[in-house]
Amino acid sequence: MEGDVDRKATAAWSGCALPPMERLRAARADSPTPGLVEGTEPGAGQQAAMFVHSRSVEDLADEDAGESRGVPQLDADGDPGSSETSETSEKELQALQGEENIIETVQAPKETSWAESRTKEEDINSEGWRSHRKHVFVLSEAGKPIYSRYGTEEALSSTMGVMMALVSFVEADKNIIRSIHADGYSVVFLSKSPLVLVAVSRTCQSDQELIRELQYIYYQIVSLLTLTRLNHIFQHKQNYDLRRLLAGSEHLIDNLLRRQDRDPGLLLSAVTCLPMPGSSRDVVSASLQAAKTQSLVFSILLAGEQLVTLVRKKEQFLHHVDLHLVFNLVCSSSSSFREGEGWTPICLPKFNTAGFFHAHISYLEPASELCLVLVSTDCEDFFSLSDCKQRFLERLRKRGSAYQALKEAVKTPGYSVEQVGIPELRHFLYKSKSSGLYTSPEVPEMYQSEGEQERLMGLYQELHSRLHHTTRPLRYIYRCGETENLMAWLTSGFELYLCLTPLGTKALAMSAVNKLLKWIRKEEDRLFILSPLTY
Amino acid sequence: MSLTSILSAEAIESAVKDCQEPNSFSYKKFFELCGLTSKTPQEVKDVFNILDEDNSGFIEEAELKFFLQRFVPGARTLTEAEARTFVSAADDDDDGKIGAEGLFSVVFLLGLLSRSPIMAAVSQEKQYTPSLLSFFVYNPSFGPREGEEEKKILFYHPSEVEKNEKIRNVGLCEAIVQFTRTFCPTKPAKSLHTQKNRQFFFEPEDNFWIVMIVRNPMVEKPNKDGKPPTVEYQEEEVLDTVYGAVLRQCYSMYKLFNGTFGRAMEAGGVSLLIQKLEKFFYRYLQTLHLQSCDLLDVFGGISFFPLDKMTYLKIQSFVNRVEESLSLVKYTAFLYNDQLIWSGLEQDDMRILYKYLTTSLFPRHSEPELAGRDSALRPEVAGNLLHYGRFLTGPANLKDPEAKFRFPKIFVHTEDGYEELHLIVYKAMSAAVCFMISASVELIRDFCERLDALVGPQLTLLASDICEQFTLNRRISGPDKEPQFKFIYFNHMNLAEKSTIHMRKTASVSLTSVHPDLMKILGDINCDFARVDEDEEVIVKAMTDYWVVGKKSDQRELYVILNQKNANLIEVNEEVKRLCATQFNNIFFLD
Repeated sequence: MEGDVDRKATAAWSGCALPPMERLRAARADSPTPGLVEGTEPGAGQQAAMFVHSRSVEDLADEDAGESRGVPQLDADGDPGSSETSETSEKELQALQGEENIIETVQAPKETSWAESRTKEEDINSEGWRSHRKHVFVLSEAGKPIYSRYGTEEALSSTMGVMMALVSFVEADKNIIRSIHADGYSVVFLSKSPLVLVAVSRTCQSDQELIRELQYIYYQIVSLLTLTRLNHIFQHKQNYDLRRLLAGSEHLIDNLLRRQDRDPGLLLSAVTCLPMPGSSRDVVSASLQAAKTQSLVFSILLAGEQLVTLVRKKEQFLHHVDLHLVFNLVCSSSSSFREGEGWTPICLPKFNTAGFFHAHISYLEPASELCLVLVSTDCEDFFSLSDCKQRFLERLRKRGSAYQALKEAVKTPGYSVEQVGIPELRHFLYKSKSSGLYTSPEVPEMYQSEGEQERLMGLYQELHSRLHHTTRPLRYIYRCGETENLMAWLTSGFELYLCLTPLGTKALAMSAVNKLLKWIRKEEDRLFILSPLTY
Repeated sequence: MSLTSILSAEAIESAVKDCQEPNSFSYKKFFELCGLTSKTPQEVKDVFNILDEDNSGFIEEAELKFFLQRFVPGARTLTEAEARTFVSAADDDDDGKIGAEGLFSVVFLLGLLSRSPIMAAVSQEKQYTPSLLSFFVYNPSFGPREGEEEKKILFYHPSEVEKNEKIRNVGLCEAIVQFTRTFCPTKPAKSLHTQKNRQFFFEPEDNFWIVMIVRNPMVEKPNKDGKPPTVEYQEEEVLDTVYGAVLRQCYSMYKLFNGTFGRAMEAGGVSLLIQKLEKFFYRYLQTLHLQSCDLLDVFGGISFFPLDKMTYLKIQSFVNRVEESLSLVKYTAFLYNDQLIWSGLEQDDMRILYKYLTTSLFPRHSEPELAGRDSALRPEVAGNLLHYGRFLTGPANLKDPEAKFRFPKIFVHTEDGYEELHLIVYKAMSAAVCFMISASVELIRDFCERLDALVGPQLTLLASDICEQFTLNRRISGPDKEPQFKFIYFNHMNLAEKSTIHMRKTASVSLTSVHPDLMKILGDINCDFARVDEDEEVIVKAMTDYWVVGKKSDQRELYVILNQKNANLIEVNEEVKRLCATQFNNIFFLD
């Protein structure tokens, strides 16, 4: 009963911008077929895509495409570099130092994050250092170390010098270095002026996949500084030590790298939603929609690393890369935001590499996993955003049942693969292309250890890179091995990856796919955001 | 897309009208009239795809009869004779079908004829296949001090490159190798990918490095206003495994004829090594055809001739008899139709020798035989000794008093190193035998005459026996129907290879009937197989709707390409099972 009332209320709020929901739902195919048109696959949102439409890797590779999307009024905002000339640079460098404090507010307490993730003092000549699964290095074009995942930058400065020498040596021939391959590992180079990123990986990932991961790291750094400022710094002083500006933010990169090894969202260029009843989600979205203010561009409600809902300004889209950077910011520094309301500049590089947005980050309740991120264009707007949050909370509390449902959902953020009811299915990833959302069950018992989880992700990565190969893409892959059978399927509407027991037959696998797609269709309003809202 | 979106309706009509009368069809005139000759290669391919009714990638002779009706529904069918002339003109591989490239080449040639070359260059995109940029051998320990870098370089192709450029390129290779040792001291770099090329590194002997640089395939797009053309490199087209294998093969081939680098160093120091490298690679590199390298180069397998037990025993007793009467003979190998039947050599030696025989020696000698059987029969012996035997290495004519009895020398492995052998290749009709004799023995006229007299008649008989058996077997198994699939099979244990993908192998090119992209998908699957040491099966569907199946079971690998667009996974599986049952009924594959 309560749900029904809510549903009607939602429809009323969304007003004329949304076509009647019932009719649209009826228009969607009942059981998905391979001939699905994009936008009608299970999980497809009803309005225009919520995120910038992304064709995953290809999209990322095309770096400039996203950068021109910024709205003009935003360009001028929050960018100290663009309007000033070099003569004021001295002052500006001081300003930059001042800026460090702001970034400082973002960082997690040093003791905890450093102790667990950064074994900095490692000897770079030791076997242990060499045998890390994946090294990542960031350096400036002058060959100065900026970041290293393992080992201190000081100890690695000569190694990074060699890297830069190789890059410029090949460049001297009007050529570009891409990668080096050897037995059991490969080295991948990504040159993103004014930075150079290098990965040394012992995984089976293709160059393409590693480049995509490095691009995320690049965007993470841009997100902290903006590209305009980055360029400005290095134009002014070629051998500037960027670590001065990034000090205290390394854990963001560390964390992003860790997530790349186990979060399928980064692989699929998609995000996943907190499973909850569609009607309750609609109420939450509507409450968020109502709590708006002039400068607000995006309101994002997160539960851990899952999206609850996202409301955006009309015509403004949030790219999945930017959303992952927001996730990363919140997840890497949760403790500092828990204590109160956070206010931090953040550049969303896929939206606009030149300027900062300002994000108001706070948890709904101190002990809750629910985190609200309000992204604004105005750096002076802290109090009006704080007020938005209060209004949202009040509204939500009034709609007690929906809030209750949300809290319940947060308690069980995942679902087990058994719920799907296909005995030979162990795990799966399903991405709806038009909405940029994916769903996946909890990792089953047998893949829970860190090594196994990374192996499973590795298998998905291999399938992904074969499906999305730049010159010979595939529609369909079925792979029988000794430990599991895998299946991957790419259509114009969705991407599907299945991990099945190694004992099943091909006929069983085919029927598993059909059953799974039917199940996803049945559960879609729980697993996806079907009716995203705008202000 | 329809034909009229590319060709104008009037042009089509006038072209069809022009050949209304039976046997008046001339493809040249037809293509000219309908305007196809002035279209871009892409447009011609589009036309082809429309004409290819069953999307097989080929226009069969049967489809061709209705060629005109594809343009205008009411037009007449072509006569048998017309269809045949058409096929034979456009068919570049003699299989009775026109591939897209086939039709393309006819039209393209016409297009070139009718236009000035400059015009053609402006409107055409030029596609370049991968090619050899450079190839060099160096040893860093030969010039350790600054200023002595040139001493490191033992061989450099192309030789006309300026000295500093050579030093620079070698320096980069050294730097890359050294750099990767930071991350794994024992396993340095094997390849370097750049936008424009791929470099492959191989250290066959301590400190000796061979480097091959392959230019990525590229497309040159002409620009208007006289600007230089834009070049796009296709970076994902070159497979590391394939060219890595080609590089290793270069060394193996050098070693087969010269022994190791170390041997030359012992015998005559750096200068002898440089001389040997120069002599060998100067010729050998010209025979590398990088654009047609594929998965089969990775396997480097040996094709075995299928034979019944009786004939096999006959051959074995022949080998034994010869080895007994000519006690000098140390090893023997027997081939028929470029396929191996019997070999006494170690597998790895046979593999490289087989490569040499089938890609270099045999093709060089096949021409005179094809020209006419009679000429192979030496007139001077026609009266007494009627046999077709002749030496492929050594003396061309035994009766010639000037004849030299020099045979090529090869190096094969022994338990404690290697031994040097004379290689005598003797051939009668399609049967060829290799006799290997220790190099310490000097071969003289008398020996060759004895060999010729002994082997010639027997081998001629044996060859016709095998031929008879072969045609008999073929007849029993029924006429070859064009199968729905192509496959490659390789067994790592005995290096046996079987393939229906290469239709004709010549010295210069091996024509494949399969789209290069599909071959590369096979290569990708092969890479996946190589990574894990367990049995696996992979089934993929390409964007072109071809199915590709790869199976790895124990030491065997099987790859099948199926052209069944609408099949599902289960049907594909059934089809492959059927293939295994007919082609490999005694081999177990994981299901």
